[in-house]
Amino acid sequence: MILRGLLLVWIAICIVLAFVWAPLVPVLESTTRVLYFHIPSAWVTVLALGWSMVASLLYLRTRNMAFDDHAATAAELGLLFCICATVSGAVWAKAMWGAYWNWDPRETSIFFLLLIYVAYMALRSAIDEPVRRARLSAIYSAIAFVSVPFLMFVVPRIYFSLHPDPLINTRGKVDMDPRIRIIFYGMLLGFTALFFWLLRLRVRLLRVERRRAEAAPALEEARA
Amino acid sequence: MPNGASRSPAAVWAILRKECRSEWRTRYGLNAALLFAVTTLVAVSFGAGRLGDRVDVLSALLWIVLLFATLASLSHAFVREVEGQTLSMLRRVASPTEIAIGKLLFNLLFLGVLEIVTVPLFLILMGAPSPRWGTFLALLALGSVALAASSTLIGGLIAQTRGRGALFAGVSFPVLLPVLAAAVSGTRAQWQQLPAGGELRLLAAYGAALMAASLLLYDHLWEE
Repeated sequence: MILRGLLLVWIAICIVLAFVWAPLVPVLESTTRVLYFHIPSAWVTVLALGWSMVASLLYLRTRNMAFDDHAATAAELGLLFCICATVSGAVWAKAMWGAYWNWDPRETSIFFLLLIYVAYMALRSAIDEPVRRARLSAIYSAIAFVSVPFLMFVVPRIYFSLHPDPLINTRGKVDMDPRIRIIFYGMLLGFTALFFWLLRLRVRLLRVERRRAEAAPALEEARA
Repeated sequence: MPNGASRSPAAVWAILRKECRSEWRTRYGLNAALLFAVTTLVAVSFGAGRLGDRVDVLSALLWIVLLFATLASLSHAFVREVEGQTLSMLRRVASPTEIAIGKLLFNLLFLGVLEIVTVPLFLILMGAPSPRWGTFLALLALGSVALAASSTLIGGLIAQTRGRGALFAGVSFPVLLPVLAAAVSGTRAQWQQLPAGGELRLLAAYGAALMAASLLLYDHLWEE
């Protein structure tokens, strides 16, 4: 309860500071501010797919349904944050490049991530039996994660991209303004905490639902 | 827990021979795939005409034809077992990993035959300029390995779901996208007399990663 309030205050402070305290990067001008929202979303997307993959492998090892809850929830949240990153990126692209979408390598790779999550959901929805669904989607999640390092780190390095890491972060050397950096890391932390909070809520909900489904026959009997 | 990690080359060889023999008896899968590839090819060639000077379009079309032929045919290997209710018999004589490796080799062979027919026909019908054969064949080979590796594993998953055929294309597409992207841009580069080393390395690395992940996951394909 206290943590939840702290998270709200933390993110609110970061947003306010982003508008009143942080300077703007020369070329990007007022669109600089998208980075406090867009990059944390993209980061949570990768984190969520990684979380889903780890939970899936743990499920395959232990066959404990709690790990399947984690895998499914992380993928749902990943899809949500991936949409946030894609939409904020497209809006920024409209402002800077003049078009919402033009298949820049970065746009391509985030779109592929989006498709991976959607396919994961489609696979889950096609299997009725919970145990079989858990096993098969765990296999899919593990194989899908193979493409993530390629999409996120290899493809943008091979192909020419207009994506502005060079303006903010040249070749891994961080030369951001310290004020931008503080707010950026603050938002990164805030988004990560937001992800884990939502994850925990949803996993608990799924557990309650499963317990109720298991208890349903007994309840019926007691009522009769 | 799956304990069928034992991999005997003899069992894999037996599965491969069995696949080839049952395919040769009806030639249903191969005929369907070839017809499909040739139909697509003719439709593209008829619709777009000869595109000898547009190598960017040519490389995209070539891989789209190959991708569609793959998606239309490679899930067949497992779906056939499920529909013929022969899978439990097969599983008595071999471990999941052996079955899957046998099917993977069969799928590779299948793709090879498909490409021997489709690719020359494509080059002739579309009036393509002569490719740099070394690079071109290496791209085709590495692309096929990656296509076969992912579609074998996902075919195994899909065979156990409702609505098998419809789901396969949608679910395997995200995993195949990096392959498609690298293969298209490599094919374009070799036609434009540019180096394609980056794409070849990307395809090799991705194919190897898919293959390694598949080998670890095959054991979980079926419940004991």
